Amino acid sequence: MQLNKMAWRTLARNKRRSLITSFSVAFGILLAVTFTGSGDYSYTSMIDTSAVMGFGHVSVEAAGYNDRPGLARRLTEAGGVRKTALGLPRVAGAYVRIMGQAMFATGAKSVGGVFMAVDPQLEKPLHNFFLRSIVEGRLFDDTNGRGAVVGAGMAVKLNLRLGKKVIVTVTDKNGQLTSELTRVCGIFKTGDDSVDSGMVLLPLGRMRQVLNYGPDDATLVAVYVNDLRQVKRVRTLLAAKLDHKANLEVLPWQETQPDLAGLIAVDRLFNYLLQFLVGLVIAAGILNTMLMSVLERTREFGIMMAVGMTPRQVVGLVLIESFWLGVLGLLLGVILTTPWFIYMSRVGIDLSRHIGQDYSAGGVLVDPVMKLRLYRESALVILLSAFGLTMAAGVYPAIRAGRTMPVESLKET
Amino acid sequence: MQDAPIVQLEKVSKIYQQGQVEVKAVDNFDLTVRAGEFSVLCGPSGSGKTTILNLIGALDAPSSGRVWLEGQNLAELNRGRLSRLRRDRIGFVFQSYNLIPVLTAFENAEFVLSLQNVPAAERRKRVMAVLREVGMADYVDRRPDELSGGQQQRIAIARAVVSEPAIVLADEPTANVDSEAADTILDLMTMLNREKGVTFLFSTHDQRVMDRARRLIRLRDGRLEADENQDR
Ligand SMILES: Nc1ncnc2c1ncn2[C@@H]1O[C@H](COP(=O)(O)OP(=O)(O)O)[C@@H](O)[C@H]1O
Ligand SMILES: [Mg+2]
Repeated sequence: MQLNKMAWRTLARNKRRSLITSFSVAFGILLAVTFTGSGDYSYTSMIDTSAVMGFGHVSVEAAGYNDRPGLARRLTEAGGVRKTALGLPRVAGAYVRIMGQAMFATGAKSVGGVFMAVDPQLEKPLHNFFLRSIVEGRLFDDTNGRGAVVGAGMAVKLNLRLGKKVIVTVTDKNGQLTSELTRVCGIFKTGDDSVDSGMVLLPLGRMRQVLNYGPDDATLVAVYVNDLRQVKRVRTLLAAKLDHKANLEVLPWQETQPDLAGLIAVDRLFNYLLQFLVGLVIAAGILNTMLMSVLERTREFGIMMAVGMTPRQVVGLVLIESFWLGVLGLLLGVILTTPWFIYMSRVGIDLSRHIGQDYSAGGVLVDPVMKLRLYRESALVILLSAFGLTMAAGVYPAIRAGRTMPVESLKET
Repeated sequence: MQDAPIVQLEKVSKIYQQGQVEVKAVDNFDLTVRAGEFSVLCGPSGSGKTTILNLIGALDAPSSGRVWLEGQNLAELNRGRLSRLRRDRIGFVFQSYNLIPVLTAFENAEFVLSLQNVPAAERRKRVMAVLREVGMADYVDRRPDELSGGQQQRIAIARAVVSEPAIVLADEPTANVDSEAADTILDLMTMLNREKGVTFLFSTHDQRVMDRARRLIRLRDGRLEADENQDR
């Protein structure tokens, strides 16, 4: 049969209508790419930012630490855990850290905050946001020394400068209050006010002594992956490898950062809902156009069926028309979306003027530049959905065409 | 010797409900059409010509009575079988706008053969032969809207006869063309009947067309008024 040829010629006969229809498919693809892409980009950057503030994409912690953090719950053999993590595929880094509450004081004032004790030999700016954000001085280089890197906000509050003394007071693993004298060797500024006024980096070796920890103890090992999509797999692998070690948990970022996970889940839901509605509107438009095109051809269908075409073949003919409309829409969509996507993923739109200075949301820094990032899977889903919706919109018109009664449609007026 | 009957109508009635009123479009009608006939259903507008052709062509079902085509009772066939029967055994020519607008004259003439999955080479041979007979061989690439009404009817006739059906049903095939084109169409059908033995049953209310029929089946209000063989 020549259904394909007939379908093509029908589309060509009404070029403008076919173009408008496939353009609306293309426009849907553009919108979906923009919505999904900006979501994927901002979620990824929020998750990454949050991860480099301490816990990592996956964190190994003492059992119970996540629910009730306290310096009494500690991980033993942290170094071994780190090595195991580093041995896994798709792991980009793993760091032994101690995180906990502390009081920071000078002679005159004191403020409460959070410290993160790190090994200066191991930490890399890539996986440590504070290191990246140092604006004055630098990271201590002796893990047993007395260096401290404080946030710019805290520096203002406590009137600190490089070289000034800060007393750090913590409760050790036995619940005893202990204090330690440190000296400011660096100041960081992340742009997030609460972090800048509440976070201090301290040397790991020194803090182990202060907290009465063993030489391989820590509160967590923060693990970083190359690609967020690998979090689940890395977590499962790591948990399996560490199975024999009781008293620890391997947690994905969703569990160590539940607020962020919730925020993203809600945002993503709305994003998808919006896309679904846009898709529905576009599909309704296509359905309407197809139906119009079918209804004005009842006589043609009547003749085809009178001379022996089966209703099923007529349904097929109209479905082939929507198939080619879908293909056309996909092509146009790719042509239209590619330059936009390339621009938006490389350059983006700077929104900093509209947001103000503190770009945090849910306690996490947000990139003020709107950019797009699209996972291959998302792109595939978008293209397939656009195509699927076009085909779906053609189903009812096709069935209507197949129901044509030749006797009725052939009546001479 | 009499040829086998191709079409048999037995006490056929078709009743339409129009609001409260019942319209008897065809009323207790009997008819036998044999192979090789060149017969005309005639009668004023509304006398039931189209309805009878639709019943014979398996496009419509009677309210009562039976329709047989080559010995097959149409009431016993499902939709799919009826489609196939129309495709393989019946040729249709309608009053106007017979052709599929997106197909060329050649492709329109070829349409039924493609539905039958006849191989392309054979299709081409058979279609070109018929197009020569109807005098349209030079118009193969024209679209229907580039042809006159008479030319369109000739393509429709080509489409109807190329599959060598048992009978060609033509509903007022000359009603929408000028008299010169009507003559051409009639000459064509006569020639195909005489030389190829194609069985024709067509309807008309045009006296000049009636004059050329060999058998005149006169209808009035859905009933048979007269059934005359004319010597010609
Ligand atoms: N679908 C229908 N509904 C109601 N009445 C119809 C329908 N089709 C035909 N008729 C009526 O049946 C009668 C015969 O119509 P038709 O077969 O078209 O006659 P003809 O072709 O001889 O003009 C007319 O009175 C017409 O109004
Ligand atoms: Mg009629």
